[in-house]
Amino acid sequence: MSLILSLEAATPVASARRESAGQALAGQAEAVARACYDMAVRFHQGGKLIVFGNGGAGTDANHVAVEFVHPVIVGKRALPAMALTNDPATVTGVANREGFAEVFAHQLRCFADPPDIALGISADGECVNVGRGLAVARELGLLTVALVGGDGGAVGRGGAVDHVLVAMSTDPAVVKEVHVTMYHVLWELVHVFFEQPGLLGPEVIR
Amino acid sequence: MTENPHPAGVQALYPFLYADARADLDSVLTQVRESTVAKAAEIVELRKVVLAREAPRLAACAAAMAARFAAGGRLYTFGNGGSSTDAAEVATTYLHPSSGRTLPALSLTNDVAVMTALSNDIGFDVVFARQLAALGRSRDIAFGLSTSGGSTNVVRAFEEANRRGMLTVGLSGYAGGKMAELDSIDYLFVIPSPSVHRIQEAQTTVYHVLWELTQQALGATDERAATAAV
Repeated sequence: MSLILSLEAATPVASARRESAGQALAGQAEAVARACYDMAVRFHQGGKLIVFGNGGAGTDANHVAVEFVHPVIVGKRALPAMALTNDPATVTGVANREGFAEVFAHQLRCFADPPDIALGISADGECVNVGRGLAVARELGLLTVALVGGDGGAVGRGGAVDHVLVAMSTDPAVVKEVHVTMYHVLWELVHVFFEQPGLLGPEVIR
Repeated sequence: MTENPHPAGVQALYPFLYADARADLDSVLTQVRESTVAKAAEIVELRKVVLAREAPRLAACAAAMAARFAAGGRLYTFGNGGSSTDAAEVATTYLHPSSGRTLPALSLTNDVAVMTALSNDIGFDVVFARQLAALGRSRDIAFGLSTSGGSTNVVRAFEEANRRGMLTVGLSGYAGGKMAELDSIDYLFVIPSPSVHRIQEAQTTVYHVLWELTQQALGATDERAATAAV
């Protein structure tokens, strides 16, 4: 079989491998809805969203932050959000002195306020620094949300997370693809709660 | 003392905002749940349609990318906003893969000094093109993403890359935008969706599958080389 034909034959296999994980997102609809409501309440109370992850999930942290700060849909309000992967001086500085496990926890201690939301992303749920970040966030009183995959890993089991959203795959590429849909939906549905006056309590939006 | 921002008078004027808040919450939660289910179905379908339609071109593109890597080429990735995070993901997927061969790749939004210098001194339209002019060689690959297909700096980068003989790969959405009108893109994958979010999600799948196929093609190349060497 020629190279091109064998590559062509691999695409339907790659497509099929993604289907069940994509469909399984529907099974997370209740968890997504609850997370969106709690996030909307935090934004309404003046909280900001702080996002973190390693490797490819670090790029997702940036994507989530820009999604909230600069919405692609005209007319949606900007909401405060930041990624903890932006500053290589701080990330490498903390990693060098305190260890890589502390890179997100350190920044959360310095930057987070109690009404904030911590969103940790880890494809297998085993990232120690993401777990540390969420644990410190919980201590500080933040709402904690995790996007994980597989069996949820240590992050999913750790008990420091208010909302664990799981992409049902063990392939990190497929997990990431489901995570992208998850955070797009989180962004969109947080705004649905904003558009329903009276649901978010009497606090005044900043 | 904090003033109550919703005095009794306001509550009397708009009782539905307060008395029925719980009932409203339940109905909004239901609406939000249904929205998630609908969007999950939408992206599953879009992914299937795109991969089925593009399978032959994905194979050809991956073979061409593998040939460039085998010849010592590097991959340069670029995009704006959310697409810049995808460009970073594409680069790290090749450079530090979960499995398979490590391949040289660089995202052109990484260097804040270069980005701001070019934007300040010349203009934002050249931030990627000028970096390709400095870094790119004819055996390299330029990989640009734009949901609209209309980002001027992405278009300019493809024109520069094409002038230099680089292999050019583009991802866009809707009907392809300006990128679909260019002769400078060797392989353009257009995601036919009206939603910028679904476009980005399907683009993520397309570049992951391209990476998988490129790895497979390089494996095949290695096998052939090993056979030839025996």
